Amino acid sequence: MTHEDLAAGAVVAGGTGEPMIICEGVEKWFDDFQALKGIDLVVGTQEVVVVIGPSGSGKSTLIRCINRLEEHDRGRIIVDGVEMGDDIRNIQEIRREVGMVFQQFNLFPHLTVLDNVTLAVRRVRKKPKAEADELAMEMLTRVQIPEQAAKYPGQLSGGQQQRVAIARALAMQPKVMLFDEPTSALDPEMIKEVLDVMKELAVSGMTMIVVTHEMGFAKEVADRVMFMADGEVVEVGTPQHFFESPEEDRTKLFLTQIL
Amino acid sequence: MTTTAKPPVRTTGPLKWLNDNVFRTWWDGIVTVVAGGLLLWLLGSFLSWVFTSAEWDIVRVNLVTFMVGRFPREELWRVGVALLILAFAGGLLLGMSLRLKPRVTALEALRTFAVRAWPVAILVVLLLILASSLSALVLVAGATLAFIIGRGGGYRLPQSRTRLGMVVGLLSPFAFVAVIAGFGGVGWNLWGGLLLTMLLAVGGIALSFPFGVMLALGRRSTLPAARWLSITYIEVIRGVPLITLLFMGFVMLTLFLPAGVSAPSLVIRGIVVLTIFTAAYVAEIVRGGLQSVPNGQVEAAHALGMSPIQTTFNIVLPQALTAVIPALVGQFISLFKDTSLVAIVGLLELLGVAQAITQQPAFAGQGLLLETLLFASLIFWVGSFTMSRESQRLEKRLGVGER
Repeated sequence: MTHEDLAAGAVVAGGTGEPMIICEGVEKWFDDFQALKGIDLVVGTQEVVVVIGPSGSGKSTLIRCINRLEEHDRGRIIVDGVEMGDDIRNIQEIRREVGMVFQQFNLFPHLTVLDNVTLAVRRVRKKPKAEADELAMEMLTRVQIPEQAAKYPGQLSGGQQQRVAIARALAMQPKVMLFDEPTSALDPEMIKEVLDVMKELAVSGMTMIVVTHEMGFAKEVADRVMFMADGEVVEVGTPQHFFESPEEDRTKLFLTQIL
Repeated sequence: MTTTAKPPVRTTGPLKWLNDNVFRTWWDGIVTVVAGGLLLWLLGSFLSWVFTSAEWDIVRVNLVTFMVGRFPREELWRVGVALLILAFAGGLLLGMSLRLKPRVTALEALRTFAVRAWPVAILVVLLLILASSLSALVLVAGATLAFIIGRGGGYRLPQSRTRLGMVVGLLSPFAFVAVIAGFGGVGWNLWGGLLLTMLLAVGGIALSFPFGVMLALGRRSTLPAARWLSITYIEVIRGVPLITLLFMGFVMLTLFLPAGVSAPSLVIRGIVVLTIFTAAYVAEIVRGGLQSVPNGQVEAAHALGMSPIQTTFNIVLPQALTAVIPALVGQFISLFKDTSLVAIVGLLELLGVAQAITQQPAFAGQGLLLETLLFASLIFWVGSFTMSRESQRLEKRLGVGER
């Protein structure tokens, strides 16, 4: 079966109906430990999927496999019609279309905020400096910190740094955005400003997979919520189904623990 | 009620400091007096030797030899011209680096210069006094003028011509060598003294740095061949004393070459050996820097679609090198001083000159080695100290905004 067949046969539950990300039987091992035990997931274009679950459940590993920060051992991953293979050019082609936001921000401390945002636009998208700068300012305005462009990351608060990280990913004009616990390293008063930016992004029609512990965000923004435990998908459903009438015992237990 | 908060008053002042730090107890007081007396006595006898007993004639007479060794005297003008070019290029680069900063008055510029370059300035004045010749004065005045003109030109250079300025700056060392050695000039086999020391040091640093970075990257490479080659090179070279390598380069190389192939000149062999040796150390220092860059940086770059090479050169190396500036400059200061080891095969760099001139008929057998060594040490110290201070400046400047 070619990946076109797989794409054609995929059942898309949300978004516009076109599949953007297809995971089929994805398995990942760290030595003898199996982190992902055959994950099947189809994310539709413009769909927002929130992944929740206890730590060590494989949520981060799953989204890190989608842009090949981790290499999956079995199964297939197809992003926007391109199947993830071993060829570095193939991997870079997918990475260009998939933005990622990390828990620890991972801004480049030796570059100004503006250069953080423009670097990949210039080096990877090969845009001239003036155009890249203009695009970067547009994205910094979108995350509401254009006035910080000349500063260095170390001079910003955590919330501001995370918004720069979002602007940096957006400047590549990706088709998908992955968020790996974007608010977990933030002080409580800064969480809202980052979530607000993410909500605006979701409303604008970005395809997103968000790993988070922010249940409020999941309820409000998610098209679907996916609960993972021990490397498996336990339950998937709309936020309404998920928070009001979960079926699985493990989901119920998890929800009572965090709510 | 509003309380006006003020920090608690601390008694300060020199007397308080003395009381707290050196005369806290009777025992402290005795140690202070004895140690202070000893230091003063040592300093006093050293100064009295320098100004009364020492015979500085040997340095005065051989000043040009200290600077250039056996360099033919009728071609000395070439060195002068080369120095002017270097001074101009140095000024140009400095001026360009100041373009984005607020304009400073001449007085402020002079103050910065005094703080930054006082050891060099003092050395130059000392040299002028010792030389007490018009040509030396003209040379220093000319170089100063070239520097100021370069600085003004660099400051006014439009941003669009930045690349041109950089090219001029980076090519100036080559121009320096070309003016002296090219156009029917003097090949570097006849260079000596400070001129040769600088050639060895600058050549060694300029070559060992990129070579060392390559080895460090090779050692962390995922390609087994590159990794094992780098590890072998680094561990073998670091296990051998520099002087052994120098002997091998100078003495044994000719034995291995097939008949009819002439070995490269001693100067080239010197630069090559110093480069080979220093690169291994640079590699280990840079590897330490590479390890200090968090893996999240690489992941972020990869997630943006950057290639491994782009990630290395735009993200990892800049941070790694910034982190190891002090150790790196320390290694280069070592190299600067290690250039004196080439004296063992008779190359007349600074130390070689200091030793050789005591054998001149006019000075032989008078025990003047102390004077000449002290003078050579002063020049080495000025060079090393200036490098050390400049590295601290660079560290501070690059540290701005670091997390």
